[in-house]
Amino acid sequence: MFITNRALSRRTILRGMGAAVALPFLDAMVPVFGSAAAATPVRRFGAVFVPLGERPGFWDPTTIGTNFELNAIMKPLEEYRSHMTVVSQLCDPLDGHATTVAAWLSGAIPKRTLAENVNNGVTVDQVIADQIGQDTPMKSLELATEDFTGWIGGCDPSYSCAYMNTISWKNATTPMPMEINPRSVFERMFGRPGTSQQRLARMATDRSVLDSLLEELKGMSKGLGGKDLNRLNDYLENVREIESRIQKAEKQSLTNVEVPDAPVGIPEEFEDHAALMYDLMALAFEADLTRVVTYMKSRDASQRVYPKIGVTEPHHAMSHHGNNSEKLANLVKLNTHHVDLFRGFVEKLAKTPDGEGTLLDHTLILYGSGMSESDTHSRLNIPTLLVGKGGGLVQGNQHIVAPKETPMANFLLDLANKFGSDAKSFGISTSRFEVA
Amino acid sequence: MRKLRLSRALTAAVLLALCWTWVDAREQAAAPRPVTPAATKSAPVKPAVAGPAQTPSHKATIDRYCVTCHSDRLKTAGLTLESIDTTHISAAPDVWERVVRKVRVGMMPPQGSPAPDATSRTALVTWLTGELDAHAAAHPDPGRPLVHRLNRSEYGNAIRDLLDLEIEPAGLLPADDSAYGFDNVADVLGVSPVLLERYLSAAGKVSALAVGDPESGVASETFRVRQDASQDRHVEGLPIGTVGGMLAHTTLPLDGEYVIQPRLFRTNLGAMRGLEYEHQLEITVDGARVHLASFGGDEDFKASLRNPTLAGDDVEARSRARVKLTAGPHTIGVAFIEKTAAQNSWRLQPFLRSSHDTFDPTGYPHIDVFSVTGPYSPTGSGDTPSRRRVFMCRPATAAEEEPCARRIVSTLARLAYRGQASDEDLQRLMSFYATGRKGGNFEKGIQLALQRMLASAKFALRVERDPAGAKPGSVYPLNSLDLASRLSFFLWSSIPDDELLRVAEQGKLRTPVVLRQQLRRMLADPKAESLVTNFAGQWLYLRNLKNMVPLSTEFVDFDDNLRRAFEQEAELFFASIMRENRSVLDLMDANYTFINERLAKHYNIPGIYGSHYRRVTLTDEARRGILGKGAILMVTSHTDRTSPVVRGKWVLDNLLGAPPPPMPANVPPLDENGQQAGRVLTMRERMEVHRRNPVCANCHKIMDPIGLAMENFDAVGSWRTREGGTHGTAIDASGVLLDGTKVDGIVSLRKALMRNPEIFVGTFVEKMMTYALGRGVAATDMPTVRQIVRDGASQNYRFASMVEGIVNSPAFQMRRVPTPQEQSE
Repeated sequence: MFITNRALSRRTILRGMGAAVALPFLDAMVPVFGSAAAATPVRRFGAVFVPLGERPGFWDPTTIGTNFELNAIMKPLEEYRSHMTVVSQLCDPLDGHATTVAAWLSGAIPKRTLAENVNNGVTVDQVIADQIGQDTPMKSLELATEDFTGWIGGCDPSYSCAYMNTISWKNATTPMPMEINPRSVFERMFGRPGTSQQRLARMATDRSVLDSLLEELKGMSKGLGGKDLNRLNDYLENVREIESRIQKAEKQSLTNVEVPDAPVGIPEEFEDHAALMYDLMALAFEADLTRVVTYMKSRDASQRVYPKIGVTEPHHAMSHHGNNSEKLANLVKLNTHHVDLFRGFVEKLAKTPDGEGTLLDHTLILYGSGMSESDTHSRLNIPTLLVGKGGGLVQGNQHIVAPKETPMANFLLDLANKFGSDAKSFGISTSRFEVA
Repeated sequence: MRKLRLSRALTAAVLLALCWTWVDAREQAAAPRPVTPAATKSAPVKPAVAGPAQTPSHKATIDRYCVTCHSDRLKTAGLTLESIDTTHISAAPDVWERVVRKVRVGMMPPQGSPAPDATSRTALVTWLTGELDAHAAAHPDPGRPLVHRLNRSEYGNAIRDLLDLEIEPAGLLPADDSAYGFDNVADVLGVSPVLLERYLSAAGKVSALAVGDPESGVASETFRVRQDASQDRHVEGLPIGTVGGMLAHTTLPLDGEYVIQPRLFRTNLGAMRGLEYEHQLEITVDGARVHLASFGGDEDFKASLRNPTLAGDDVEARSRARVKLTAGPHTIGVAFIEKTAAQNSWRLQPFLRSSHDTFDPTGYPHIDVFSVTGPYSPTGSGDTPSRRRVFMCRPATAAEEEPCARRIVSTLARLAYRGQASDEDLQRLMSFYATGRKGGNFEKGIQLALQRMLASAKFALRVERDPAGAKPGSVYPLNSLDLASRLSFFLWSSIPDDELLRVAEQGKLRTPVVLRQQLRRMLADPKAESLVTNFAGQWLYLRNLKNMVPLSTEFVDFDDNLRRAFEQEAELFFASIMRENRSVLDLMDANYTFINERLAKHYNIPGIYGSHYRRVTLTDEARRGILGKGAILMVTSHTDRTSPVVRGKWVLDNLLGAPPPPMPANVPPLDENGQQAGRVLTMRERMEVHRRNPVCANCHKIMDPIGLAMENFDAVGSWRTREGGTHGTAIDASGVLLDGTKVDGIVSLRKALMRNPEIFVGTFVEKMMTYALGRGVAATDMPTVRQIVRDGASQNYRFASMVEGIVNSPAFQMRRVPTPQEQSE
């Protein structure tokens, strides 16, 4: 539906296409919208969630302060240390799978419920999107690499699956679905096949459909009460949001940009899939289609196996390791593997010029997990890494140790404030934990 | 006691009958009015409290066996029964339903604690349920399901039924959250911008496909063969005389030329597999050959040795077909021509799975993926089922256009909006028609109107409206149209059809005989298959199969062909119970199943050849019912081994309706490589070590014996007598179940689970009710569940009688007006 307004490099190609089939309609130069490069660099925010913690003892840097010593798991990122800020000793409110996933970006205590009145708290990515996401065709983009259908019985007892299926909540009661199909993400970014005239015509139609839908919804909500009315109002609000985004996309002027081949579907190998999602994230930032991205590498109770690195035991089963040395070693291997995949993304950001610097200079990516010790689902000292400088929001090259039991929420409040929110509290925050 | 229960059943029946009579009157008046609790109470109902004479002895039982732990001081599991009022059971249905659930299956009191004898146990449960049921009969609470958004599969089915158009909804909409084990629970079917955006874009795509938008550009669809699929045998549905490959269903937008491009498996070094011998690859469309390519043999093999990439590309260029195809649904197949035994000179192949080694360039060629790209040089919208459905009239003159458009739009909107399309709605749709007509032609106008219809909230949301002025907290019967929707979304996961809507519009649906007729008709309809894919698929975890990837080094024969066979078998088995209106108890112990050659090999059943599925009578008792099915045995296992815990928990959750308590924090896991006296411990031995920890013991005593009794089935459901290969330790499948029953394997376990059939049937009903209502089944619903089970007993728990019981229940037919508190939520 949306079309980029920024020039992409002609060499832009998507990795991980494997046996993918190039789509003829996107091979050609596609006229799209765009304007002269922005005068001042824009800030971007991303959050990458990895499941089941980082192996304690192999994650936290071994020294504190600047020029810190990287530990084993972070090693692949060594060359980007100047852009890294590690914060240790932050804590989630509760142990567990559902609770730590839900709280990771909300800093809140999710309501214990199987279905009724699901309630978590708005997540920091959405608060930031409210600040910096207004000018782009997509306010935020939510991605994942694990299909959460087909895991019946795989959610935390007493907690709705919704808490584990996403890391992003638009508000306390609205989880944002995470998209796993690169093709769908691509279509959200660049639209369905067709000429620019056809795309414009489609946008106009979509907008008039939304206009008319608003009228319809107003009529429908008459006479409704309680939760039914709330749901209709949610619907209405969402219609408005999409409508304003289409208007933004329509207003942007035309330029010529080469759009890469569209991915055809979901790659079979996890590594290819993840690489493709990272590429789409980088592309979305580069083309300024969105400034806020969240990415869930796997569900928290993921039973994924990683044959490529010789880890064939399912992740969740292995994460309850009982101090078995082989399992512990494999967990470190797996954590490092995830960081290594992430490195490709960081590298891409570092190599992409943006205004006076690079994308990495103007982006802040939070990388981490909701727990530390997976065997006990520990909420203590959860792994927290910031990569990038967010356009001067952090100085980088730092390992900061927070006072023990500092709520993650205090840190999330800082992030929200850094990106312009004037919130005084966030989730269960007690104060702002400021990261320089 | 017996007499008392009977009278309660009668009361409930009378109540329901009252509702119907009342509703008939209402429908003539055509103005919804609420039933207040007061009105309900005026029905002749016996006092809720049973004879006080029984109370003291039950109170004594509770005091003696429960209060030791569930005291005010200890509050074990957050529950005290010490000072609870046993003279007003109905005051705390949540607590007492929990007690019933645990005591009934023998989960409480825990093993090793003093427990009442079977007679007092049964008496206690009977008394409690009697109290609860009587109160519920007098005070029905049907609940109030939230506004329900069509989930992904409902959306796909609705499009199919509205437009005669098969789409793959997973490509259009994101996955839905699920709760209580089902993805149609209204509470978690919320909306978000992304979701709405996808509904919007789906409306555009589907309407373009349905009318055959001439502007449909070139697009590509890709079909992937799973990497663990074996391709050395015939695949069901592909032409006889072929092996391997894949069959795909697609709907093409326009008449025109399409490029079908198969891609063959290449090793990690880029060499196409199987080039050392000659092969033929065949592409078929709707069963007819459209392309035959030869490859392999000396030339290709040598080329591959020189440059594997170029050689592979060359083969793929030869495999490509550009064919003229008509718009609409097609079945496209890609497969290899089978060689005669004389030609077949393969090496010895040790495993059933043909696609093990991803490094080996020799052996069978395999299809990896194929794509269909087009249309090129389109020649028109063609004659498709969806166009025939949509264009029910054809304007011959300009003057006929608008009336024809109105007819199309109102006919489709009636179905899409499920009888609730207002004049205003039609006006809105017609204004989109007008815009499209002005900017293009008649068909473009219809396409735009259709796009608007599919984007409508009236299509995407099921809203049940309380009657105006209804008293807060009162209960009222649903109007016929809402009832029609509940029925069709329950039985078909889709919108009502013309007949159901007509009956509802005429106000006849609430007549018991008509309702029954419709229900039977709908159950017999092929669309009821959604009960298999959506209900059974989730209840029994069949949907998890696609995520199960058994470790290939441990289960060398396992392939996707077997995974599909597991799924087919389980689905056909469940469908047979439904279609033949068998007893739901047959789900547990029917002596037949459905297999093909691949599955027969796995089950060691001789004399079964070919890829098609057929019904066979089982001689092996172990394979009877769902507990003997590969699908269930695999989804309850880990990738590398069985898990008695997962299996035990699955049985408790899904067959006995008594989920074990959640795992405590800080649990030491199983020692995977446990060794003792130089021997690897068996699963049983490792679990025994684990259970020595008292924190673990309590729950495991409940779960493990069930799972251990199933140990003769390995992680992919193969039968075994030893663990760890032919020289491993003999499996000991014996144990004592939570209620003290001794079992020695799968057969005696199944018999033990069946001894109180109403427990299994009750769980089945509870699960199906969750699915039917799209909400969690609450304590206040349990009396209804028990009623349905009791009523079903006389009909031997036949499938249709269970469904009828649910449909006839107040929970399904009625709705509660929000209380002031709910109103302000």
